[in-house]
Amino acid sequence: MRKLFIAILLAAVTLGSVCRPVSAQTMSKDEKRRLILKGAKLWPVYCNQCHNPRPPGEKAPYEWDQEIMHMRMLGNMPADNARALVEYLKAR
Amino acid sequence: MSRPRFRQTFTVLAILLGLAIAPVCRAADSTDAPTLSEIQRELKQLAQDRAREAREFREERKRDRQQIQVLEIKVQQLEQKGTKVQATTQQLENTDKKLQATTLELEQTNVQVKTLTAKVAAPIPAPEFASDFGRYLGSHTFQITGAAGLDFVYDQQSGALDGFHHATQNSFFFNFEPMFLYRPTDWILFEGEFEGSFGQTGTATDIPLADFQITLNDYMTIVLGLFDQPFGDWYENQSPMWVNRFVSAPLPFGVEAVVPPSEIGLQLRGGLQWGELGQDVDYTVWGGNGPNFSEPVPGAALGGPTAIASSQTNGKSIGARVRFYPLPIDSHLGRLELGASTYNGKWMNGNWFNSWGVDFNYFYGNLQTRGEWVQSYRQMGGGLPQDSRQGWYLQAGYFLNGINLPGLPDEVNNYIHRLEPLVRYSGVNQHAVAFEDIKGATGIGVGGLQVGLIPDFGLSGSPALFAPHSREVALGLDYWVAPSIVWQNEFDLELPRAGGVFVSNLGVSTAAGSIPNDHAFLTQFTVGF
Repeated sequence: MRKLFIAILLAAVTLGSVCRPVSAQTMSKDEKRRLILKGAKLWPVYCNQCHNPRPPGEKAPYEWDQEIMHMRMLGNMPADNARALVEYLKAR
Repeated sequence: MSRPRFRQTFTVLAILLGLAIAPVCRAADSTDAPTLSEIQRELKQLAQDRAREAREFREERKRDRQQIQVLEIKVQQLEQKGTKVQATTQQLENTDKKLQATTLELEQTNVQVKTLTAKVAAPIPAPEFASDFGRYLGSHTFQITGAAGLDFVYDQQSGALDGFHHATQNSFFFNFEPMFLYRPTDWILFEGEFEGSFGQTGTATDIPLADFQITLNDYMTIVLGLFDQPFGDWYENQSPMWVNRFVSAPLPFGVEAVVPPSEIGLQLRGGLQWGELGQDVDYTVWGGNGPNFSEPVPGAALGGPTAIASSQTNGKSIGARVRFYPLPIDSHLGRLELGASTYNGKWMNGNWFNSWGVDFNYFYGNLQTRGEWVQSYRQMGGGLPQDSRQGWYLQAGYFLNGINLPGLPDEVNNYIHRLEPLVRYSGVNQHAVAFEDIKGATGIGVGGLQVGLIPDFGLSGSPALFAPHSREVALGLDYWVAPSIVWQNEFDLELPRAGGVFVSNLGVSTAAGSIPNDHAFLTQFTVGF
């Protein structure tokens, strides 16, 4: 079982290293608008799942980049939804 | 000819004329004698006049010279003034030239200022500003989050468990949990947490978290390091002080943990949206050093991988968790999570530890509910019976921010809107409890050093700690100052149960007797950064 786990993990890492994360800086205006609107819907739901949603103005945009990266890991958020949350929180 | 000279000449001529006519007139001296004397007198007069005129003339000359000297001085002064005037005029001319040059420069500066003012007044495009600010901050970003809180626990333990009071407390505690986030790229994040707890008779420090989070792609993230056990929801998501709605941890996640609170190893995890917005599924698989216990006896406390007594495992662990979210956000039916976890490993050179659990949470409007069930089995060596444990909790809370009580002023209703009443029922079925754990927690027999008083998660102010078959009802009332600043109040009631056995570190068991029905009050002010 341990060997199977290691094999799955290695396969996943290999597969994952081929696919790079999408960079937010290459986003068009329409795409950004779409993400902000989506983020506004997700913010009170995703955050509230564990704690009270914290207002966007509490942190600087670069801090939201870090926070949502951290929260995406903890909540296993779908990547596009995590990007939407970041754009919403940074747009404030 | 000047007048004095004329007079002098005239006088000389008159004398000569007198001498010429003197013989003629001598014949008649007898008769002309008075005339001669008159002439002499006149001559004398003339001489006097001449002397006077000469004196006057000298005086006049003297005055003239003085006047000339005065005038010469004035001329010199005027000449000096003229020189100064010329110098001043030259200076003025130079100054004028400089002024002209300065005026030109000012005009040029004015134009530049106007240009700059226009540039400053013009709104900076957001992308440009973000880019500039991003350059200012640098590509490697850092921040500190975490929490801090002051607690007061009144936990009057009236009953004794086989001679051991379980932790009567009337004390203040302070807990400080700074978390460091460092993001060198948009796909690597490091998190590290330090925890310091300060009580009446002891201080505890720990590093519960230190790991790298590497985003491989949209569906995979690798976590490497020391992390909270991703089993169920509580350890990973509910344990921070300001996130946990209660002061204490539910019994299965306190000092009598059913599964280990943390692990050193690696995780692979991710999530995806399988349906409409909000319909998600996520997974986590992980492996690590495996569980360890405070003593090799039944009922011993589970510790994290950084605990002092961490040498009792010689195996490795693997775990998996899946969570499912069936409700779309646009359905307005609320948010429901259903999860299942398992964690398995070896301890003590080949003895198995197996566990599994299910969890849920559901949110609808101001209502929030959550609960978990956890079951573990531990194979014991030396012919000792299997150490099996079960734990659970179920909690609910309701924000009063939508309630306006009639007849009360708005100020009072505004206070009420910040309140959240809570209730939680939790329990652990554990037929044995280790003596040494109780001693460590109460300070009995270890010099008063309360090394186990404050576990990794939640304050151990509960009255139902280290009791076999413990049951507890916790009533809570939170006052939310801000989304991450809260004053929490908790009243715990221990429910009487049948008891169990205490086990010494030599494996000797004694009957624990029934559990007393004790109470505790806990209050905490905590701030999440």
